Amino acid sequence: MVKHLGIVGAGQLGTALAKLAILNSIEIHLYDINETILRRSIEQIKSDFRQAVQQKNLSSEQSLAALELLKTRTSLPDLGHCDIIIEAVVEDTRVKKDLFKHLDADNKIATILATTSPSMLVSSVGSAARYTERIIGFHFFGQAASSELVEIIPNINTPAGIINDAAALIRMIGKTSVIVKDIPGAIVERTSHIIYNEALCLSIDQTAGEGQIDNLVRQNMGLPLGPFQKMDVVGIDTVLATGESIYDQSNGDPRFRPPGIIRQMVEAGLTGQKNGKGFYRYGNPQ
Amino acid sequence: MTLFHGSNPLKTKSKIGTKKAKKNEPHSRSLTSDISHQPGPEKPIAVILGESPMVEVFAELCAAHGYRVAAALNNTPSGIKFSSPGIDMIREIPAQASVAIELTNLDLEHKKKNLERLSGAGSPSMPILSSSITVTATEQSLWIERRHRLLGIAAFPTLLAKPLMEVAPTIFSPKETVEAAAYFFQTLGIGTEIVQDRIGMVIPRILCRLVNEALFAVMEDHASPQDIDKAVQIGIGLPAGLIGWAERIGWSQICAVLDAIYNDTHEERYRAAPLLKHMALTGNWWNKQV
Repeated sequence: MVKHLGIVGAGQLGTALAKLAILNSIEIHLYDINETILRRSIEQIKSDFRQAVQQKNLSSEQSLAALELLKTRTSLPDLGHCDIIIEAVVEDTRVKKDLFKHLDADNKIATILATTSPSMLVSSVGSAARYTERIIGFHFFGQAASSELVEIIPNINTPAGIINDAAALIRMIGKTSVIVKDIPGAIVERTSHIIYNEALCLSIDQTAGEGQIDNLVRQNMGLPLGPFQKMDVVGIDTVLATGESIYDQSNGDPRFRPPGIIRQMVEAGLTGQKNGKGFYRYGNPQ
Repeated sequence: MTLFHGSNPLKTKSKIGTKKAKKNEPHSRSLTSDISHQPGPEKPIAVILGESPMVEVFAELCAAHGYRVAAALNNTPSGIKFSSPGIDMIREIPAQASVAIELTNLDLEHKKKNLERLSGAGSPSMPILSSSITVTATEQSLWIERRHRLLGIAAFPTLLAKPLMEVAPTIFSPKETVEAAAYFFQTLGIGTEIVQDRIGMVIPRILCRLVNEALFAVMEDHASPQDIDKAVQIGIGLPAGLIGWAERIGWSQICAVLDAIYNDTHEERYRAAPLLKHMALTGNWWNKQV
């Protein structure tokens, strides 16, 4: 049973997770080195709750009770009593490794340390820590972890008890978990990239056009978006970075090689919906 | 949102186009007269040859949309029960057939025999729509006379009654044959996408690649088959999952498509996972105790 959850990083993901947790009666210790970001995060949660109360999705009593569970922290040792600590800091290997080294030293041995990195191997992020068995990965999906799914990625020597506690936390915040070994891209990212790569190859060899492939994938496979539409939404630069990361971490396995055209597109400034040009043209860049 | 064709390096000028199914649309083109629904007691005849269960599924679909169906299964004795009336198991191809559909992906020798049977049958303009996911439509057209009648289709178990059918013309296909095929699928409530004549076509190629990777993941114990399906259903939005979908397609069909693409391209990513080959042979998961 998770009673105290630590979250390191009060950005978009950290804020979303904190909100979910307090709504499910878990006490949150939200840490950020930057007090301004921390204040902004709290304001965001309060604002979201006010809106939910106005829309009658939440009672004011529930809102107040949830906010009582939200504690802000600016010192890492203050997370020492947490059952699980989730890092949601910038996607930078060095920053994450340093953080885990500090957390490993400062926290009690029973604490589970979780990384949310979508592209790094858990074993790599946790390699600077002494007690690597307590380091696991959580893959959240969608904007602000909106997807119901969470991939739990145990380290190579994580005991079953830690995996069970991690799965219990995911159930407590109302999500569904799957257990996946520590492999590049786990299941969801890896599968997405196979769809992207195959779609790109089909377009390059002119088996079909991008619009046709999107149409066929939506209508005959039942996916909500075709692969070219999805790459535009995710950002072609993000697709390139993740695709190359999966390929590199798979030691150059040709099954995961991203087609060269994707890099050319990024270099040509075609990054998708956010700048108005990708595989499709958009009227109003985001 | 419009498809970007400015300086997009992926710009293609393929002869692409979607024809959405519009039921009951009148059609007056000469070749389509072979398959148009004429007033009167005589229904157009669809000849369907090939593998089970695709023949049964497609025969039921055609019968439900007003065709008389003359069907024959590869290597299977007659005696199949159909729920719809108007489906006959045949030995001889009816002379007055309006459209022929060949649905074989596995046994290419049998496919060749089926196409040879169809080659001399029907009118000179009767379209022959043949599955072309394990052998190109162009290669198949070289097996028959009056090769202008043959078009490739993405006939794959579970995809036959989907909203769109991929149609691959050959270098011998006149516009009229393509239009006749589009009209035929339209009468079944199915739209068409005209794609290039490549082994695997579009959806079978993507789908088989995904299933293959899922089988590698199971084989290497990355995740359980149940968790893989749950992950792709919730995380990607693939309603049927991958393992669950593959079981409905049939492992040997998936293996055949991958083998055909691998033989064609020699690309490592199409090499079938050992577990997939095992599933195609036995239909069962590996025994982990051994």
